[in-house]
Order: sequence, then structure tokens, then C-alpha cells
Amino acid sequence: MSQFLQATIYGLLQGGLLALIAVGFSLVWGVMNVVNLAHGSFVILGAYVGWKLNSAMGLDPFLGMLVAAVVLFAVGYLLQRWLINLVINGPIFITLLLTFGLDLLIVQGMNITFSADYRSIKTAYAGDSLALGSVRVPVGRLLAFVIALLVTFALVALVNRTRTGLSIMATGMDRGAARLMGIRARHAYALTFGIAAALAGMAGTMVGTVGTFNPAAAGGFTLLSFVIAVLGGLGNMYGALVGGLLIGLVEAWGGQYLPGTWVNALAFAVLVLVLVFRPSGLVGRAYYSARQEV
Amino acid sequence: MTATPVLETRGLGRRFGGLKAVDDVSFSVPEGQVLGVIGPNGAGKSTFINLVTGHIRPTSGQVLIEGRDLAGAKPWSIAHAGVSRTFQIVKPFRGMSVRENVAVGILYGRKGTSRMSQALEQADEVLAEVGMSKLGDRAPGGLSVADARRLEFAKALALRPRLLLLDEVMAGLRHSEIEPSLELIKSLRERGLTIIVVEHVMKAILAISDQVLVLHQGKVLTSGEPRTVLSDPRVIEAYLGQRYVQRREGGRS
Amino acid sequence: MTPETETEPTGSDQPNGTEQPSGTDQPTGVEAAELGAGVRSSAEPVWRRWLPFGLLLLGVLVMLGAQSQLYSGQERTVAAIFMFVALAQGWNIIGGFTGYASFGQVVFFGVGGYFTAVAMSHWGFNFWVSLVVSGLVAAAFGALIGLPLLRLRGHYFAIATLGVAEGMREVVTNVPGLTGGGAGISVPTVGKDATTAYLGNDGFYLLFLALAALSVLVAILVARNKFGFALRAINQDEDAAAAMGINTTRAKVSAFALSGLVTGLVGSTYAFQQVTIFPQRLFDVDITVLMVVMVVIGGSGTVLGPLLGAVALQFLSEYLRRNFTEVHTFILGAIIIAAVVLLPQGAVNYVREARQSGEWSLLANVRRYRL
Repeated sequence: MSQFLQATIYGLLQGGLLALIAVGFSLVWGVMNVVNLAHGSFVILGAYVGWKLNSAMGLDPFLGMLVAAVVLFAVGYLLQRWLINLVINGPIFITLLLTFGLDLLIVQGMNITFSADYRSIKTAYAGDSLALGSVRVPVGRLLAFVIALLVTFALVALVNRTRTGLSIMATGMDRGAARLMGIRARHAYALTFGIAAALAGMAGTMVGTVGTFNPAAAGGFTLLSFVIAVLGGLGNMYGALVGGLLIGLVEAWGGQYLPGTWVNALAFAVLVLVLVFRPSGLVGRAYYSARQEV
Repeated sequence: MTATPVLETRGLGRRFGGLKAVDDVSFSVPEGQVLGVIGPNGAGKSTFINLVTGHIRPTSGQVLIEGRDLAGAKPWSIAHAGVSRTFQIVKPFRGMSVRENVAVGILYGRKGTSRMSQALEQADEVLAEVGMSKLGDRAPGGLSVADARRLEFAKALALRPRLLLLDEVMAGLRHSEIEPSLELIKSLRERGLTIIVVEHVMKAILAISDQVLVLHQGKVLTSGEPRTVLSDPRVIEAYLGQRYVQRREGGRS
Repeated sequence: MTPETETEPTGSDQPNGTEQPSGTDQPTGVEAAELGAGVRSSAEPVWRRWLPFGLLLLGVLVMLGAQSQLYSGQERTVAAIFMFVALAQGWNIIGGFTGYASFGQVVFFGVGGYFTAVAMSHWGFNFWVSLVVSGLVAAAFGALIGLPLLRLRGHYFAIATLGVAEGMREVVTNVPGLTGGGAGISVPTVGKDATTAYLGNDGFYLLFLALAALSVLVAILVARNKFGFALRAINQDEDAAAAMGINTTRAKVSAFALSGLVTGLVGSTYAFQQVTIFPQRLFDVDITVLMVVMVVIGGSGTVLGPLLGAVALQFLSEYLRRNFTEVHTFILGAIIIAAVVLLPQGAVNYVREARQSGEWSLLANVRRYRL
């Protein structure tokens, strides 16, 4: 029983982090109809930023992640504004290919720069655990979970209550109308992408504290982001949170109780079933089911 | 003896979650009639067309096409049953020439034509019917609004339908362009086609409808002779507005 | 009857501002470019109709003749090119003509390959029977998953097919009793279990050439007949296509199954050639992406495009792998990005449009899909 609880706690903690990774991906897909196949590489890039700051300057990764967020925001904004924007009106496999090429570039770039060795970011306290009854809760993971949740809520507040956020939502719902009202669509798109990259990068640094990483890990994060985004409904931020927690739990329980890598097959089966039967996601309505593009 | 109406709906309804876009709509259209359908925006006119043509499944009721209940059938089945339509926002096949656009309907919507070359020849005949003979080689993207609408007509006529549903074909046309469209619809009626015309342009409705159906909030408000319906106080209140009445009485349009 | 209406000569009622309809009815400039690969009217000269088949035959003969001139290493490289030509053409049927971008296409490759491996090693089939049956199994699989999945559009379809491919890989990995699991499975090629003699370099060269030729033939047939016409209509406006009487479900599922057939045949041959196969390779998403890149760079929805794209990309990939081994993937990524940005419609379509509109500037081309 305590094993089950332990797995559940781990699953939730990991799920919160996954949610932070996926929420940006979901937002980008929902607002701009862009599926960013390089999203996982942003995560790992953030991890490397945090790692480099930690190894070069001893900067605590939970501060380093802020730097990672800023760096990745800039990267994301520029990439969208000057590269992805060029093909955004084309058929979807064009953007898919572009982001795939980007993923190749970034992952290989990291391989070349940092080598394929596994890294992790050590802190003095992350390895310690709190004890909740018979269950151990690692401090690092708990901290990451709390931060992930806070940031996700902050994102929701940003998007729903600030002018910037509203301009993003408006552009997502009806680009033509938004532009007619003076919203700069290119800027809104670039902001969205930048925010998504920043969140991914921030989460990446935290990933680096709770486990090991290397460039090849990027693909797994992209794939998980898909599943979570679809589960939660595209553009639905609370949905991404719920989806992240759910996937975290499935991974943890599956790892405990299923032989081999059946848990992965399970995840894909869930993905396909949700897409076929409830493409608007398990949680709530699809925000962007009626798209009008100008 | 009453002939089977070309189209009859019984209790036709469609709900989206809690909203009843179309609610218990029952009426029938006898062969050869032109039925005008009017109503304010959001009254359910487009949903209604989509229900009849199979693009949306009804959540209740029946759609009887020449006596056969085809509610919920796929769009192509309904096309094969002799029903065709135009789209409010025109949907040409952009990578194909005007002629090829029409040929699609001939190949797949009509019985008896199975070869491309045959279809392309017959497409030219249909283009002649709508007055677009010279535009066969053009790309749809470069057509004027009026011609693009005409292409929608041609595509719908390619199927040699028994029932034609026209979804706001007059919208956005200049006055000089409305007349030819009306002439076209009249000529189609003379050929025995049954036509349902969804419109906002009252001049057109008055000019061509045998009967008028008024939809409001998904329900049938009233139906009958055009002039009677358009003078009905309920219709005026829900849709036309007092200024329309004043303009008509003042200008006798 | 209706009076003939001339087109409006000029005016503010042009919905697409750039193009003035000319007084004649010849398509001009950009307008003509939009027409792309149109269906030929009945007035097409006979030799034109047979030209693609003639060229195909010529190509096959040339490659047959070339075989004796190649070293065995070169033979293998060229055979790989043939393989990708077939894969690219297979993808083009569902992704290019029909417009449903399948990002899980490798699943057919894997299904075909694994069926052959299992049939030959467990059930004692000979290769030729396995080849045919594997193709049919892949096609049937395509029809099966196509029915639910082809109801999805755009990204949803792409992701769903990707999910199926990844899921199949996991399934195959987790039934080692049948498929050897992660440790792989081997086709018997020597000894009494070997039901078919190994084809060797020469044999596989010929077989892959045959598959490539078959795939191009299928593409030519689809492109010019009624079925291809329906697929193009579905691609350009599915609602209108359905309203005009096209059974879109049947057409899409058929296209998907056909693409699965072609891809499955290639997978089956690959399995025999490699002798030992692993799930990570046979269901590798990179193979799908290569297919897509080849088609997109070459020109999707055309017959020549996937052919050129496959040849170009394979040459490029080989060249990079030889000369820039450590960074070749990096450069490949950069090339993909450049190609997609500069030539989103692919080389063949670009050339066709440029010739008709006179607009050759790549910079202008970049503006096509830009926001």
C-alpha cells in the first residue's frame, strides 16, 4: 500500500512538472495552430542553461531557472517572429517539418556543444526528503511541483486578466478580427511562443535538479506534451494541468505495476482514443473549435 | 391526389449542448415550388440547410426526400438522392479550373457519367447554363464575387438535382448583379427544379418565392404567401423592423 | 434564357485584389499558377498521355543498365534511393494528393517488415509469398485504422497516426514471444530454415527498383484518373467534395490503404534485406519524417516531386554522412529548415508556377505563407 502511495506521490510531483512543460505547448497549439516538435528541446536547453550556471558560477538552479526562462523566452520570441512566422499560413505539415528541422538542429547543437553525457544539477538540499507517514517526499521534487503549479496559475492570470494575455487569446480565436482591432498578430504569436519556450526552459532546469538529462531526452518531453495537450484540450491551461497530473500518475503507476514498456503503449493508446472520441479533450470545452483565419 | 413533396421535414431539430439551433421544424415543399426561407441571423437558417444536406446530423426529427427518410445520411448520399446546395461562403476547389470544379459534380453527383473527358464536356454545358462559358479555364481564385457565386450555382447544378438549396446567394451582390441571379433562378424553376432560397435580400424573396417560411430562434414563426408573411406583424417585429415597412409603403419597391 | 454575362473588367469587387481578370479567358500569371497539375481535357494529344509511362520505362531501363557499372557499395546506396522513392511516393498518396499528413506512416513499414520476418521465421513462408501478404496486411491495417482516424483533420490526424505508430512499436517490443521484442528478430537465410535464397546486393537492387517503379506507376495512375481527381477535391475542400457526391470516407480510406500497401511492401523487402530487424528501426519516426521531407521538398501532390525529393535528399544525406560525420544531422536540420522556408510548395510546383507567372524570385516565394 505504501508502495502505491509512494508511486502516487511521485506521479503527482512529476505530473506538476510535466504540466508546466505541456501548458506552453498546448497554448501555442491552441492559439497559433502550431505543433512545436522542438518543444522538448527547449526543455533540455533550459536544463543546460541551469546546469552551466550552476557549474560555472554555483548558481542555485531554482534561481538559475529564472535566467533559463528569460533566455528561452528570447529564443522562442525570435524563432517565432523571424522563422516560424514565415510558414505559418501554409499547410500544417510545413510547420511540422520546420519545427522538426529546428528540433534536429537544437538537439544536435546541444550534442555537439555539451556532448551526449548524462548531466544533472546537484543542490545541497534536493536530495533530502520529507517524510509523510511511510512515504518519502524529496525536497527537490516538492519544490519543483510547487513552483510549477504557481507558475501555471500565474500564466492563467496573465492570459485572462492582462491586456497582453487578452490580445493573445483574441488572436487565437479570430486573427482577422483581432488585427482589425489593432492587435499586432505577429507580436502576439511571438509572445505566445516565447512564453511557451520560457516555461519549458524553466521546467527544464527543474528537471535537471530532480533527475538526469541529456539531449536525447528532448523527444520524450515533446511526446508527453502532445498527450497532455490533447487530454487537456488545446489551449486549455487548466486542462494541461489536469492532463499533466494524470500522465504523471499513469507513468508512475504504470512503471510500478506494468511489465516492460507497456506503459508507453498505454499512453499512446490513450492519446489515440482521446483524439478519436473526444478531440476537445477530457477537461472542459475546446477553446478554439471555431477557427477563423485571415 | 397529392404528390409526394420533394422535401418534407417532420419535427426536425438539432441541439448543441443546451442550445436548440433548430427546433421542431415541420414543413413540406411540393415539386416545382420555390420556397423562400427568411429570418434574423442566428435563426437557424444555415443549420437548417446543413441538416437537410447531411453536413450536420439532426438530433431529432425526420428529413423526407421524395418520401425517403434521409435524416443523418451522409452528404454524398443526399447528393445522390437529388439534393444539391450552394455554400454561403463559396467553396471552390482552388487548384482546379472552373471547368474541373463543375466536372467533379458531374463525375460524382450524376449517374451515367464515368469518364473524365465526358465530364469535362458536360461541364461546359453546365457553364453555358449559368452564363460562364468563357470562364472554363480560369482559376476560381481570380473570379469576381458575382462569378464566384455563379460557379457555386454551376457546381450545384452539375448534379442535375431535383432539389436545390441556395444559401444566401445574393449576399454582397450589387443591384446590377442581383437581376441576372434572379433570372437564373426563375429559369431553373421553369425547368421544374424545386428550389429553397435562404435570403436576407427581401426584393429577391418577393420576386421569386411561391411560399415563404420564417425561422426565428430555430423555430418556424410562420409561413405562407410572400406578401402576407412579410406584412405579418410578428415577422416585422422579429426581423424586418418598422423601417422596412415604412420604406416599402413609401417607395413601393 | 440567361443573358451571357461578361466578367467585370475591373473593380472593387475583386475578392483577391492582386489579379485582374483579363478580357480573354486564358488563365494568366498567379491565377494560372494556382491551377497546378490540372486534369487534361479530351483534346490532349496522344503522345502526351503516354509520356509519363514512357519516361518511367526509360528510367527503369537506364537503372537496369547502370547496375553493371556500379560497385557493390554504390549498388547498396542506389538501392536505398529506390527504397526512399517508393516510400515517398507512398506517403504522397495520402499526404500529398489527399492532404491528410500522416505522421505515423512508418507504421506500415514496420507492420510489413515484421509480418514478413515473423512469417518467414515462425511459419516457414517463403519470401515472395510473405512480400505479397505483408503488403496486403499493411493495406488492411491502413483501412482498419483509417476508418476512425480519417475523421480527424489537420494536426489531429497527424498526431493520431504518430500515436498509432509509436504505440505499435511498443506493442511489438512487448511481445517477444512472437516478434523477439527489443532484441529483434531474424529472417532465416541459411540452413534448412531458409525458405528463400538471400537475394544479395544485385537481387535487392532489382527488387527495390521494381518497388520504386511500381510506386511511381501507382502515382501516375492515381494522379490522372477519377480516383485522384476525387482525392484532390477532398484535399482542396472536403465539405464541397462531399456535397457534390464524393464518398469521402471511402476515398480517404482507400487512399490510406493504398499508401499502406506501397509502404508495407517496402518494409517487407527491407526486413529481408536487413535479415535482423528491431522495433526501434522498423517503427522509427525519423523514417516518416524523411518521407515527408522528401515529398515536401520535391513537391507534394505531384508525381515527379517525391521522386526528385527522394533522390536529392538521399544523395545529400549520404554526402553529409561521409564528409561531415559528426555534424551531418545538424546540417540536415538546417537544410530542412531552409528548404521548407524557401520552397514550401516544393521544387516541382515552384518551377511550374514560376514558369507560368514569370515570378522566379525566391524572396517572393517566402512571402506566400507568411503572416
